[in-house]
Amino acid sequence: MPTMSEAVYEGGCLCGAVRYRAQGAPLSAPYCHCSLCRRAAGAPVVAWATFAVEDFAFTRGTPLRYASSTRATRQFCGRCGSQLTFQYNEGATDIDVTIATLDEPRRVAPTEHLWLGDRVPWLKIVDDLPRHERSRRS
Amino acid sequence: MSAAVYEGGCLCGAVRYRAQGASLGVEYCHCGMCRRASGAPVVVWADFPTERVTWVAGQPTWRRSSAGAERGFCAACGTALAFRGDRSPEQASLSVGSLDDPARLAPQQHIYVAERLPWLAIADDLPRYERGTNR
Repeated sequence: MPTMSEAVYEGGCLCGAVRYRAQGAPLSAPYCHCSLCRRAAGAPVVAWATFAVEDFAFTRGTPLRYASSTRATRQFCGRCGSQLTFQYNEGATDIDVTIATLDEPRRVAPTEHLWLGDRVPWLKIVDDLPRHERSRRS
Repeated sequence: MSAAVYEGGCLCGAVRYRAQGASLGVEYCHCGMCRRASGAPVVVWADFPTERVTWVAGQPTWRRSSAGAERGFCAACGTALAFRGDRSPEQASLSVGSLDDPARLAPQQHIYVAERLPWLAIADDLPRYERGTNR
């Protein structure tokens, strides 16, 4: 059970068939400009909130899974298509949740930009966040 | 001179489309429904005459997202692909994020800015509309 002081984040897909709950502060919140995130969402950029695996659970419905590469799996709602999560397959200790499907997306502001090398040129986001051409480690 | 051709599709490749000719308009939509449908903080739509959009592989799954509109997505990978409103059946909108080359269709305006996420700091000089335009 979360303590009173512990943040709780709830969200779900557009149609409401799949709902989730995360607790504790997000470990990070990257914008991802990579082409796979762009295609998955059909949007110019995706923003993720990263939670420890044990702090995240689906509370209604079961999303569908798509292996978007040999290394990672994305989950989405099979009824309405909403992209919900991203997770590496091997030994993942955390899971990324789309901030846009949170009930209160204003509560989690992104903290960095990843994969700017793949950025759509007309998307002009101006902020002071750390910027990485590729992943965080590059 | 040949007309412009825009091709795109979902992440897994099950659904592919082609749009021919100039787009009628390209807009950022900041509305909460587009956000939830895609899982992204903002969506960009390119509008085309319906008869110029062809599904060349597979078909999107259409789902009514409000009383007046339907959204098309890939049933196998979820990609948000298309939007069509009952009031303007002559027009189909394709998600620019699903184009093979999204750099080719730059947005021309922002709509539903009233619902914008405050942390999404897009700096440009495009016209901004609190709600929809009256097109």
